Amino acid sequence: MNKEPICWDTLKKDKEERLAAAEPLTEQGGKFIPAKNTKKLLEAVIRPSDRVNLEGNNQKQADFLAEKLCQVNKSKIHDLHMVQSSMTLDSHLKLFRKGIARKADFSFSGPQAGAIADMIMGNEIELGDIHTYLELFGRYFIDLMPRVSLIAAYEADRNGNLYTGFNTEDTPTIVEATHFKQGIVVAQVNKISDELPRVDIPGEWVDFIVEAPRPFYVEPLFTRDPALITDCQILRAMMAIKGIYAEYGVQTLNHGIGFDTAAIELLLPTYGEELGLKGKICTSFALNPHPTLIPAIEEGWVKNIHCFGGEVGMEEYIRARSDVFFVGHDGSLRSNRAFSQMAGHYACDMFVGGTLQIDPYGNSSTATAKRVSGFGGAPNMGCDARGRRHCSDAWLKCGEGSPTTTAATGGMPRGRKLVVQLQETFREKMAPGFVEELDAWKLKENAGLAIPPVMIYGDDVTHIVTEEGIAYLDACGSLKERTAAIRAVAGYTKVGLAADPAQTKQLRSRGIVRTPEDLGIDVSRANRELLAAKNVRDLVEWSDGLYHPPAKFRNW
Amino acid sequence: MALTELAFTFQGQLGNTIADDWSHTGVVGSGDLEVLMEKKEQEGHFTVRAVTPVRGYDEVWEKVLAKFAAESGIGDVSMEINDNNGTPFVVSLRLRQAWKKAKGGAER
Amino acid sequence: MSEKKMARSFYEASARERALGLVDPGTFTEFLGPRDRMVSPHLPVLGEAVEFDDGIVTGIGKLGKRPVFVISQEGRFNGGSVGEVSGAKMVGTFRAALAAYKELKQRHTEDFDEVRPVIAVSFETGGVRLHEANAGLLAHAEVMDQIQDAKGKVPVVALIGSKVGCFGGMGFVAAAMDVVIMSIRGRLGLTGPEAIEQEMGKEEFDAADKSLVYRTTGGEHKYILGDCNVLVEDSLDAFREALAVAAALPYEELASWNRIGSPEKVREQIELVKLAAELNPADSRDVWRYFGNERADEYQDMTTEEFLAAAKRREGAVGR
Repeated sequence: MNKEPICWDTLKKDKEERLAAAEPLTEQGGKFIPAKNTKKLLEAVIRPSDRVNLEGNNQKQADFLAEKLCQVNKSKIHDLHMVQSSMTLDSHLKLFRKGIARKADFSFSGPQAGAIADMIMGNEIELGDIHTYLELFGRYFIDLMPRVSLIAAYEADRNGNLYTGFNTEDTPTIVEATHFKQGIVVAQVNKISDELPRVDIPGEWVDFIVEAPRPFYVEPLFTRDPALITDCQILRAMMAIKGIYAEYGVQTLNHGIGFDTAAIELLLPTYGEELGLKGKICTSFALNPHPTLIPAIEEGWVKNIHCFGGEVGMEEYIRARSDVFFVGHDGSLRSNRAFSQMAGHYACDMFVGGTLQIDPYGNSSTATAKRVSGFGGAPNMGCDARGRRHCSDAWLKCGEGSPTTTAATGGMPRGRKLVVQLQETFREKMAPGFVEELDAWKLKENAGLAIPPVMIYGDDVTHIVTEEGIAYLDACGSLKERTAAIRAVAGYTKVGLAADPAQTKQLRSRGIVRTPEDLGIDVSRANRELLAAKNVRDLVEWSDGLYHPPAKFRNW
Repeated sequence: MALTELAFTFQGQLGNTIADDWSHTGVVGSGDLEVLMEKKEQEGHFTVRAVTPVRGYDEVWEKVLAKFAAESGIGDVSMEINDNNGTPFVVSLRLRQAWKKAKGGAER
Repeated sequence: MSEKKMARSFYEASARERALGLVDPGTFTEFLGPRDRMVSPHLPVLGEAVEFDDGIVTGIGKLGKRPVFVISQEGRFNGGSVGEVSGAKMVGTFRAALAAYKELKQRHTEDFDEVRPVIAVSFETGGVRLHEANAGLLAHAEVMDQIQDAKGKVPVVALIGSKVGCFGGMGFVAAAMDVVIMSIRGRLGLTGPEAIEQEMGKEEFDAADKSLVYRTTGGEHKYILGDCNVLVEDSLDAFREALAVAAALPYEELASWNRIGSPEKVREQIELVKLAAELNPADSRDVWRYFGNERADEYQDMTTEEFLAAAKRREGAVGR
């Protein structure tokens, strides 16, 4: 056999070459790069068609590095394949408009959803795939390994160790996937210190550090002002607490973002207390540090919270409540998106969230015909954890009720995660929350996607809560019955008007559909008086002045 | 541009009316409405006049009101509603709240 | 926390709840209430929703022996804007109060001070309703006129602590009243924050910075400057109690509480404008510091009680 000698360390050699190219730009040959050399650094370490990770999610953003990447010489760097959690900043899109990047694999686009749809249709972005956070993270280790990652941290010390603290979020995952596959890690930091509060990322894993001229951007995405919570949201919250949380005795859970779940959090110390549920529900969360959870924490409901990321203004409060949160020896929160997503998927008995549209099969989507908004992390939590093997009462109870689930395994006992959708039958301007066909189908056509983007599939949903009632889909015996139960709670939408009153009555008598009256809830009590905090200032008072809301929420 | 005016009549229970001569609930905020009820001997009928900027939902209004009428058995009441884009559920919630207050004879 | 929350919030209350809550229980009688169905004649033409009281609750109640003429604006209906009907209801209530004054003055020669009427206006408005702007502007002028007529006769008290605040032309109207009572959640000004940003740019005034908006127009700032006489907790009870105190003030003291109304007061205001030009403050906190508030940076995070204990007011700021 006469064969060419195979080179087994091309990645290593390639990295060495790139590091050498960057060497003249450093301060005395170390890891530190003066901010003015940032663009040149990126030109030295990035090559055309590289897979590049730009750190950023719905919380912190490596925004300085993103802007610098937009400034690189296009003749030197082009056709990049961006792999990143979020595409939410203007600079993220500018990379494509300028031809520096070509392909994108991402998870969440939020405010840029409309622009991204346009750019996909206009062939400015070649779309790889749209992911959930966890599956994107998974792919960083299998087929989307970043060659270069541009990350953000609060501080670096002289050895290059990083302090990511409160907003650790995606950083450990990205650095792990990049560094150990011989990739290059570039960090922007708010400042360089002699001593760090703690080390979150070892300096050895970081190749270059730039002290950015301004702190990285953080979005306070999970702050909901209680002043904006409506009576309808309060009613759904009452129904969920009594009809699901209490009914199943749910201790471990994740709350999606939104006013409905904020209402639930603010009703625990009032309505929950009245129902005698303290200690019986909501003791452990996979959750961002929602300010609206402060009253329930203060009243002793919540024993433990693991966070995906930080939330602006909650730093000092968390430091003072270290029994509840995960903190370093310095006292500040350690968030970690990958671990929290995993916890939400496997260790929580329930996911509760909201959506834009639900179809008669229970599929739900936040997509509209012209917006590619992505998934974020919700689907990781909002699905049955098929690999789960540990038991809990709530999990088993939900499984027991599911004839369709158990039938396929010959009646083998098995639990099921509660996946709960809180849905308003009509939103503003009479936009229906239930539709015969999801707009996701139109988006699939418009943006040329492989499949319609579904946030939570119908077969994963176990409960739908609307003002009209709760549909206990976990207890439905057939597909037909599921659809009837969904129609029964869809109110005056077209989907709801197609309900057969006789069948609805029968479902109610079997407890598969329960109206507020069936649940023993006095609808006229659904008003803001029930909220433990009626505004952000109340939350500050509940926190003993430890919560410091950002300017846009400081209504005083 | 003009406002939509809707009128409905339902047969309710004779004398199942409100405590005082009249009762008022709610504010015509965005997505909200006010409900004015007056006691009126009309052989158990429950009459409604609704004024709204929204068009094309006459049938939904009728269904929401019919459901409320059936559940409450309200009769001998003349009701007037000023609405500003309330969703069907907000309408039914306000109806129930108004009825509860009016039945109890609330302090005005 | 929980105990304090039991007190009914003035901020959360509707116009009718405020009107009822400002007088003794069971004493309120509404003028042109919902049942009178006096709706705006202009809004239906434009396809805009109407309200039976046109967004304003007017009526009479009592505080002890004293008749209280109440005007209460509803911010949730059209932003509390003043239109033809709501404006006329305001003016009519002023007239009724002045008529009552005349009558009571004659009948109560001995104990008039105890029954002297008071006018209480709970503001929640951005000023003129643009859909019926001429009528709304006219109403502003008429109310201003009525305030002057009431001087030395019926005390006129402004109560500001609702969601929308008190802006536009109604900001002038409030400032012209004898007494201004606010909570730290109340806001008083002429041009609204968004309009300032639009005119002057985000650099000059960022309307999204709620904290900035509050320290420029909010109760604390107005209290330090003296635009607000009395600062109270955000509860119906606290506003009612402060109203009762203001309603009983002797005329001479009322005159000293005014922001305008005498050559001295006008000179004082001009001095203030001069001072502002000299100081050229970048932020309200600079002004607070100038008046001796070293802990200015902490004020916005204080409770009303803490703030009142710490705050130093401009010399010339009057109130209790």
